[in-house]
Amino acid sequence: MPDSDVRLPEVAPVSVPSSDIHLFSAAVLLDPYPSYAQLREQAAVVHLSANDVYALTRYDVVRDALGDWETFSSAAGIGFNPMVNEALQGTSLASDPPQHTALRAALTENLSPRALRGLKGQIDAKADALVAGLVASGSFDAIDSIARVFPLEIVADLIGFTGEVRGHMLAWGKAANQVIGPLNQRTAESFPIAGELYAWCSSVTRDDLAEGSIGRGIFDAEERGAIPPGSAGPIIHQYLAAGVENTVSAIGNIIALFAAHPDQLALVRDDVSLVPAAFNEVLRFWAPINVWGRQTTKDVEVDGVPIPAGARVAVCLGAGNRDPRHYENPDEFLVERNPVDHLSLGYGIHGCAGQGLARLEAHAVIDALARRVERLVVGAEVRVPHNATRSIDSLPVLEVVPA
Amino acid sequence: MRITADRERCEGHGLCADVAPEVYELDDDAIVVLLHETVPSALERKAEAGARVCPVAALRVEQSVGA
Repeated sequence: MPDSDVRLPEVAPVSVPSSDIHLFSAAVLLDPYPSYAQLREQAAVVHLSANDVYALTRYDVVRDALGDWETFSSAAGIGFNPMVNEALQGTSLASDPPQHTALRAALTENLSPRALRGLKGQIDAKADALVAGLVASGSFDAIDSIARVFPLEIVADLIGFTGEVRGHMLAWGKAANQVIGPLNQRTAESFPIAGELYAWCSSVTRDDLAEGSIGRGIFDAEERGAIPPGSAGPIIHQYLAAGVENTVSAIGNIIALFAAHPDQLALVRDDVSLVPAAFNEVLRFWAPINVWGRQTTKDVEVDGVPIPAGARVAVCLGAGNRDPRHYENPDEFLVERNPVDHLSLGYGIHGCAGQGLARLEAHAVIDALARRVERLVVGAEVRVPHNATRSIDSLPVLEVVPA
Repeated sequence: MRITADRERCEGHGLCADVAPEVYELDDDAIVVLLHETVPSALERKAEAGARVCPVAALRVEQSVGA
């Protein structure tokens, strides 16, 4: 179904490369890579009239923009509609230094690898038990049975969600990411659900969250004045919105890519020290988030293309990840490539704050798969277009060939 | 060549030490420590690669001038 949002195309200045590719159309969301290749070949910066954004398409310009918050600002929001950008005010996501510094510190205090180092054994054991059970069962849906349950349980326990809120986390997380897109039908339908999450986060108190949890730690930080009054709720919101949907995507992608590339799984099985490299390649090959927003603070020229001050910029992480100027054979999935500098987790002051936890979870799943599975026989994957997070909705595993 | 580390910004992801353990180490608080005041020329490429993978851009490479 075509998108229902109708916008008057803006006429870009003659010197600016322009395209009518619609970044948030269902077709592009489902399979963005042909469009990204087209844009990348056209220019490093392309004005998209359908979205009224300047798309950054090549590896170098994407990485440079992520590293230059003073020019490519997050303060006016990272989404593609004014409502979500308004709603995100007060988060580290939608701020720049100096406000960003304290918010980021509070967000990462309990989420950094240092804080999480005691959790590795527990997370590894959970993943192993889960994979062992599924191998024994022989057939299952990979998304429901691993990709959704595993991060959900870990994030819920860490943040300290108890009771009925755990049952809302998946739907809330999905909606919170969906509304980052432009005002299309998906966004419109998701705002009420995302609103439930906003409402819950603005009324949640310290005592609603489990003792010793990260979530409680945030409220403690607010109490002792380490973060501004009222910022604990928005941070809890970020944990949930970022920590569930995108990890669900990444873990689903791990399973689907190893099912499709048994030779690559065999490489990891032969050498488990490839687990981190394999996860980097999964993230590079299929970024959970392909497009992220910024706004220019001044007139700037990028690779010879002028971008005016105040313009919305679409930072195309997924396009940069497939740039042949940076990666050899970028459309091949090769676990030995170890693309440590992929763009999928961003870079710089706004780089994914939960990446330490994401790595713990993903490495645990890859490790368990490599030890217990020789081959997965899968049916057709089902995808549903999503404005921000590209993920598989269902992936039937028909047969497991155990290791 | 010199590397400067912003220890306030470091979050301890440890990717630098994975890439170039001869140049970077994490201390007990998992904050980056530089093992060389001036990077020996044989390690310059590794040092640069390690700085490049810092996900939060806490490492900066300074080329020595006139060295």
